[in-house]
Amino acid sequence: MEMPKKARNKGPRGKWVIARQITQYVALIIFLALFVMTRRDGWPATLVNLPVRLDPLVMLANLLASRTFLAASAIALITLILTLVFGRAWCGWICPLGTTLDIFSFDKIRGKRQPPPEGWRNIKYALLITVLVAALFGNLSLLAFDPLTLLLRSLTVAILPALNQIMRVLENTLFQVPGLGDAVASFDVWLRPAFLPSEPLYFKDVILFAAVFSAVLLLNIVAPRFWCRYLCPLGGLLGLISRVAFFRREVSEPCKGCTLCTSACPTGTIDPHKNYASDPAECTMCMECLEPCPRSLIRFKPEVSITEGQEYDPTRRQALITFGATIATIALFKVSNLVKREPPFLLRPPGAREANDNILDMTKCIRCSECMRICPTNAIQSAVFESGMEGFGAPILDMRLGYCDFSCNACGQVCPVQAIPPLSVEEKRRQVIGRAYIDESRCIAWSDHQECLVCEEMCPLPEKAIRLEEQQVWGRDSTVTVKMPHVLRDICIGCGICEYKCPVNGESAIRVYVPEAFVPF
Amino acid sequence: MKKRLSRRDFLRLMAVGTGALTMNQFLAACGIKPTPPPYQTKMLPPTQMIPPTSVNTTAATQPPTVAATPTKALSNADVVVARGGEPEELVRRALAAYGGMETFVPKGASVVIKPNICVAYHTYEYAATTNPWVVGTLVQMAIGAGASRVQVFDFPFGGSAQEAYIRSGIQEQVLAAGGEMLPMPEFKYITTDIPNGVDLKYTHAFKDALDVDVLIDVPIAKHHGSARLTLGMKNLMGLILDRSAIHRNLGQRIADLNTLFRPKLTVIDAVRILTDHGPSGGNLDDVKKLDTLIVSSDIVAADSYASTLFGLQPTELAYIRAATKMGLGKSDLNSIIVEEIAG
Repeated sequence: MEMPKKARNKGPRGKWVIARQITQYVALIIFLALFVMTRRDGWPATLVNLPVRLDPLVMLANLLASRTFLAASAIALITLILTLVFGRAWCGWICPLGTTLDIFSFDKIRGKRQPPPEGWRNIKYALLITVLVAALFGNLSLLAFDPLTLLLRSLTVAILPALNQIMRVLENTLFQVPGLGDAVASFDVWLRPAFLPSEPLYFKDVILFAAVFSAVLLLNIVAPRFWCRYLCPLGGLLGLISRVAFFRREVSEPCKGCTLCTSACPTGTIDPHKNYASDPAECTMCMECLEPCPRSLIRFKPEVSITEGQEYDPTRRQALITFGATIATIALFKVSNLVKREPPFLLRPPGAREANDNILDMTKCIRCSECMRICPTNAIQSAVFESGMEGFGAPILDMRLGYCDFSCNACGQVCPVQAIPPLSVEEKRRQVIGRAYIDESRCIAWSDHQECLVCEEMCPLPEKAIRLEEQQVWGRDSTVTVKMPHVLRDICIGCGICEYKCPVNGESAIRVYVPEAFVPF
Repeated sequence: MKKRLSRRDFLRLMAVGTGALTMNQFLAACGIKPTPPPYQTKMLPPTQMIPPTSVNTTAATQPPTVAATPTKALSNADVVVARGGEPEELVRRALAAYGGMETFVPKGASVVIKPNICVAYHTYEYAATTNPWVVGTLVQMAIGAGASRVQVFDFPFGGSAQEAYIRSGIQEQVLAAGGEMLPMPEFKYITTDIPNGVDLKYTHAFKDALDVDVLIDVPIAKHHGSARLTLGMKNLMGLILDRSAIHRNLGQRIADLNTLFRPKLTVIDAVRILTDHGPSGGNLDDVKKLDTLIVSSDIVAADSYASTLFGLQPTELAYIRAATKMGLGKSDLNSIIVEEIAG
């Protein structure tokens, strides 16, 4: 009998596949809408950070590291229950990174390339064990490689700012075309700040973050959904749970072995040598295998049992090695003792330092970059190695790129795990982020004996933490009287607007340093 | 099946896109001046001779030729001061005594009203931003006089414009009065020569404020650390992009800027004044309620009178001294004719 030839991406699609695709696109659109509306006049903070709170991996890691249970993170149980019932349906039906990978599938470039060996699948389990063991010891830096935080960071620091730059160039150019000026102006009023920010967005080291995201997409050339198959630590966690999931894929007799389902499977888990069975830990319930089957032998049926292991599952030895290596790395991080020799400009969002002794507390931050997205002045930046490797992806403040707006408390509101405490505006106005110091060798007033005093003008405190004092100094050929700025360190909160606005070229002549901290010996 | 982009189509698309982006150059041929890179005019190599025709070396020593009073008011007073009563009444009484809004806003004229919305931190009671009812009443009166369009904007230095517009209460009053409250996007700033400037020779000025028929300057009278007071002349700094360039030699450069922007009317809001810790304020102890409004078509005279509210002499303010020297207006309190209107 001649088998009907059906390749992937061709021919009619089953109603389940269509239902899945609609769900995927709806979920992606909701995710993007929540991302766009993550701004001070946008939707409520507890709504826009919902995707992160739905992520059981980051919430579990945060719980282990901070030893604090956040009631709001219990919403991640929804994803766990979904997985217990339907397996890795999150990956196939909902995950916005998964959908992005389906859109940028690079099927045509890949062609008929053979996928990597099956053994690679246990990388994601190794990553999962590393994330959880590190979390147990208070380190959360690998959460930067959770699919949701990865996508959020890429959107925040690279994709949206780049889009903004393109739109600015277009607006600037078209505005000068005779007759188009009014139309461009009206378009701009519609566009900003509803969809894009009014000011350009700047993120340092953006090429690095863009490269990581591009690499995740381009790995699709090696195998479909390479990230989901081999790397995703959340996929690993959901995969483990899927082994006891209620709904499973089953192939009934009499299968003739046409292998159409095998070639249709985007995660390549349908094994011709095992009677076309699939591993529930790898199956994303995408339903792509249903339609190609000429005899309609594939069913997704309820079943209560534990799936047998696969040869690529991590062995006890591998798990122990990962466990030990993680502990050794964490110990090495501690040896570098960043607390005691803290970089002088390592500023954190308001209140993110521990209230009592001003020491960095990095056991809460899940690297989701929501604070970087919502910061209206673009002051919050993603760290690379500024605070050591263990601080990767955490927020730091760069006062030359932005300043902490005196009437803004958005970062603390949007933070899903209270790594930045939810301060009221009144509390935040008193929150010490750092203290400003004047570099008298570069200050226009101090070194050039000229009137300037922008820093004093900008200081938002009602009592002004920068005072002007007239001083007689020896000028070029006579004494001159110049008003010199002085910082009243005891009331300065380190909001950084003075550093941001200082007219001195390059590095500011007034800089915010980390606040005095109690360092244990 | 999706159609793949052919190489030829891709290259064609790139060529069109690149062409569009280089349109700036082509536009020069259409008579549109492309934006030169900032500071280019000052970057003469030390060995290069300055051609005598390009720079008039005597310009700085000669008094600039800018008319002192762009519009002659009907009243013979230089400055009208209204005292006592609600902000709306102050505006209506002062302008009625000064000849009515019709004197300054002809029928069909486009109007820009420039309040001081310098920060998004506080509500109007803190006297860091112009009284919203003063602005709203001016919008209403300008529309009543037959203005075709009334735009209101400012560029706060602390917080976003959108938030500052709302917190100051000005947006609500402007919209209720039928005006437009607009953002100030970067593409609307154009590099503009200041031919009569002594120190500041060019700036990036907001196009809508340059092109408009009638500019009305509505500052709030308040303390300012380096300028001592911020009044009408300094309020116009909100119309340029590169404000940090102005902070050296502030007094002269503010006066230079005032040769570029010439408001037909200056309305100084002294309903509440901020006597210390300006310009951002934040402490009600620094706020003094005066229920006073100053109106003049001579911005220097208005500022000179307003300085007396703080117990200062006009000559104590560097920008008034510079503007007087340049002949931009009157600052001698003895020669300024003041018409006082009590409530």
